[in-house]
Amino acid sequence: MFKSMTPARRGILLSVFIPMLMAGLLTTGCGTKVSRIDVNEIKDLSGAWNDTDSRLVSEEMINDMLERPWIRTYSRQSSRPPTVIVGTIRNLSSEHINLNTFVGDIERAMINSGRVTFVASSQERQEIRGERKDQDINAREDTRKAMGRELGADFMLKGSINTIIDMEGRTQVRYYQVDLTLISLTDNRKVWLGQKKIKKLVKNSRLRY
Amino acid sequence: MLINFRADRAGGDCNTGRRHAWLLLGLLLSACASYSAAFHPIEKSLAAREPATALKLLEDQNHSDADLFLYFSNKAMILRMMGEYEQSNEQIEKAKSLIEKFTATSVTEEASSLVINDTTRTYIGTPVEQVMLHTYAALNYLEMGRVDAARVEALQVDLRLKMLMQDDPDSALSHDPFGRYLSGLIYEDLGEWSDAMIAYRKAFKDYQAHSGLYSITVPEQLKNVLILMADKVGLTDERREYEKSFGLSLESLKKERKGTGELIFLFHSGLAPIKIERSVQVLDPASRQLIRISLPYYERHENPIRRARITLAGVKSYTGSTELVEDIGTLEIKTLEANMPVIAARAIARAVAKYNMAKEAGKQNELAGLLVNIADFVTERADTRSWLSLPAEIQSARLNTASGEYAVTVELLDYNNNIVFRQELNNISIKGGRKQFLSFYWTSASANTEH
Repeated sequence: MFKSMTPARRGILLSVFIPMLMAGLLTTGCGTKVSRIDVNEIKDLSGAWNDTDSRLVSEEMINDMLERPWIRTYSRQSSRPPTVIVGTIRNLSSEHINLNTFVGDIERAMINSGRVTFVASSQERQEIRGERKDQDINAREDTRKAMGRELGADFMLKGSINTIIDMEGRTQVRYYQVDLTLISLTDNRKVWLGQKKIKKLVKNSRLRY
Repeated sequence: MLINFRADRAGGDCNTGRRHAWLLLGLLLSACASYSAAFHPIEKSLAAREPATALKLLEDQNHSDADLFLYFSNKAMILRMMGEYEQSNEQIEKAKSLIEKFTATSVTEEASSLVINDTTRTYIGTPVEQVMLHTYAALNYLEMGRVDAARVEALQVDLRLKMLMQDDPDSALSHDPFGRYLSGLIYEDLGEWSDAMIAYRKAFKDYQAHSGLYSITVPEQLKNVLILMADKVGLTDERREYEKSFGLSLESLKKERKGTGELIFLFHSGLAPIKIERSVQVLDPASRQLIRISLPYYERHENPIRRARITLAGVKSYTGSTELVEDIGTLEIKTLEANMPVIAARAIARAVAKYNMAKEAGKQNELAGLLVNIADFVTERADTRSWLSLPAEIQSARLNTASGEYAVTVELLDYNNNIVFRQELNNISIKGGRKQFLSFYWTSASANTEH
């Protein structure tokens, strides 16, 4: 059909309708493609704080924390390992960072080290106390858990995530600083300060397809 | 260059045969109806105080990938009016990620926009709209009581404005006074005085810069807080300067403060102006030919409301009037005005290219020339896309109160100071030392509430 046209008609097709068609094609998306990747694989897409940062920072910082002298000092004075609780970790960065996964990573690194005991956070405690109250009325006596037998924490871990972003044109340097502080609940002494920095260079292209 | 404005959209001088063919093609391509025209039903249900209906209408519409930014932004605003802050922010995040993704200039889109029209380019918002995304995300978080998350948005406003300043350093439109002011409020609420001071100072500068462009003045509430905050962080010289230039004194301001709690009442008034297409005949100096181009221009919605008055009744009573803190409508209009030379130049380049194409085709075959001409008329459309569910203005009142439960009444006043609308809202509780944010929407014909 195309060949049977006069050159002029073909000209119209090429000059007007083809670009229109092209524009139409451009606006339709391609199908979804999914491939599984290992959770340890580092994939940086946008340059924002991601799962890799969360995991690496928490592991490194907690390892550092457990190597420091405060833990030996405490063990000398007490017969049991120190009990730690995670307080608030504030997001002071310019990104909406999922702090739950970060706190989760920190808790996991600490508990799995076996060198500290870990108690539930204040929010979790409320739920457990509710359950205990319920047991008090409804559970069999030999399985009932008494109130007032909770393990009090010795130290509280607090911290913040900060960012400094410097940019020039479409290039950004993203600097993350995570500060964690371990504070003694007995006397407010700060027994450990940890700091981890991450710096990323993000270059955005000026042109796209 | 000679420019004639013509009311005739079909482009007057075609003969009857041409007109028939034009109609035919017009029918085929009716999907290209302007963006703003398709928004009318949504606007109607917003004005009728039915955001749920508006949401349904919006979701049922077809959205091309190039217009997704507007789909997300409109959805975010409507969800916000319904009090669905969490969901609203999900939409805002989607719109934000589009900005990151599509800020780079697309080679193919630029090419097709020169052949067809500007609406083939992916829309990522005007500077005002981009800043407003962060502003409304922050307000969503504040109204959910998540001040730390609102602080993230305050930092993002700063980054966004830095980027805008890189693109256009000399324009006052690269600054956003309300974005700065809101950031100050957030820092102040978190007790970060020095950051609050810096933000308030920037807001003050921006209001002054904008007052040279259109009629906006430095809000009284900003003047007050500048003096109080300068005192708090110990900037005595700066405080005295503010006191002198505003004609206020720290002593009397302190006396006026009745409690430690504070209500920040935000009145989102009207709807942002709408872009209309206007066809213009231009004389192309090169070919001495009259060519037709389509350009967008803004039309404001009528809004009879000048300000709102809020009354809190509890252990004690407090009342306050709102003042203008952000004139979104005018900012949008000024932005378009600033971009008009570029938009017009593109349209002319496109029209000349199309004219030459038709002439070439016409040389070979009369029908071919006619068809190309028709295609040109049909495809030549102005880009009338804008974030239409944005309010025209944001007004604000700050009420310093004692902590407690309060019954809230909002009254809307017209330009003669007559009360034209009155509504009682749900009770609110104000805590000492904290700020409570409350938003109220008025979309022209009627109002939507939420807090």
